[in-house]
Amino acid sequence: FSWSSLGLAFHRTHLISSLLCLESIILSIYIALSIWPIKNQTSATLMQILILAFSACEASAGLAILIASTQTHVSDHLRNLNLLQC
Amino acid sequence: FILMLSLTLGTMITITSNHWVTAWAGLEINTLAIIPLISKSHHPRAIEAATKYFLTQATASALMLFSSMTNAWSSGQWDITQLTNPSSCLLLTAAIAIKLGLTPFHFWFPEVLQGSSLTTALLLSTAMKFPPTTILLLTSHSLNPTLLSTMAIMSIALGGWMGLNQTQTRKILAFSSISHLGWMTIIITYNPKLTLLTFYLYSLMTTSIFLSMNSTNTLKLSTLMTSWTKAPMLNTTLMLTLLSLAGLPPLTGFLPKWLIIQELTKQEMTTTATIISMLSLLGLFFYLRLTYCSTITLPPNSSNKMKQWSIKKPVNTLTPTL
Repeated sequence: FSWSSLGLAFHRTHLISSLLCLESIILSIYIALSIWPIKNQTSATLMQILILAFSACEASAGLAILIASTQTHVSDHLRNLNLLQC
Repeated sequence: FILMLSLTLGTMITITSNHWVTAWAGLEINTLAIIPLISKSHHPRAIEAATKYFLTQATASALMLFSSMTNAWSSGQWDITQLTNPSSCLLLTAAIAIKLGLTPFHFWFPEVLQGSSLTTALLLSTAMKFPPTTILLLTSHSLNPTLLSTMAIMSIALGGWMGLNQTQTRKILAFSSISHLGWMTIIITYNPKLTLLTFYLYSLMTTSIFLSMNSTNTLKLSTLMTSWTKAPMLNTTLMLTLLSLAGLPPLTGFLPKWLIIQELTKQEMTTTATIISMLSLLGLFFYLRLTYCSTITLPPNSSNKMKQWSIKKPVNTLTPTL
């Protein structure tokens, strides 16, 4: 988890890599959550399905935003996101 | 329509949750519902604001989920009101600070507000703040008070300082909301009801400001100066609302500040009380500049043309003068 969150914090040029890191964060949480009931003999399958569904929605929304941003800005690079000057 | 419905649904889910996954699900529903609202106009600035908003909110949600999971590992509880693991408390405060826009993580907020239209900016700064504040309220007894108060003081300072050089009204309102959030979080460990009171009053004043700016379509300071030709009554109420947001005594905005300072002095934290009241002077400067620009100055070619806008406003602007 911490590896992928570091990767998200230090993404260099492409937005796609940050989306990938986000997905890997959620995947690591999912794997950890599925390991936990095996140790403690409880079952948490409803939580797993809910988390999976919502993370899939988030990923698709992120991809849609990526497509929209490449339509208006020319490329994928993060240096182009400076239209809103401070 | 459907997006507003899903927004209210997400907020309701998060508010009425005592399990971490339902709170996380409500927050994700809110994020997903607001993203198309932000990027509705196909302006590149709007879409850039949507990307920034999405990235920050998604990381905050993932952090929140991770902190609840570490808490569940160490204590076996998925209950919101019981946080025993100190590192998960730290992660949770960081996640909520990212979602709210408190100071170490406030960088997305002015740009996102700038890139969205006025009504969606209103939604972003009032309604979207509500679920994370409820989570903060539910978990406030087990969070680190010194961390929260340092973040609050820094956010009041930064909200005042960075608002000084702005000419775009949405950015000014973004910084004002950052400083108001600082006021809200400084009292949260001592008296959570004051936090709620501050939040309600702040959202009321901010909605009236945003709606009056929406009706006169003022996005810059220069547009504010000519807004008195369009609806003079609206302009005077806008001035009163702005002064109330600044926290001047006869108006409503003074009430939360007074109660917060009173509570802080009861808890023997008088230095923090003086520090935050000094720092709110910075905010007072640009509120005064806004009121000065909107009411007192005259543009170079003063013409008294009345333009037609969608008038839904006078009901909402009189309420902060209560």
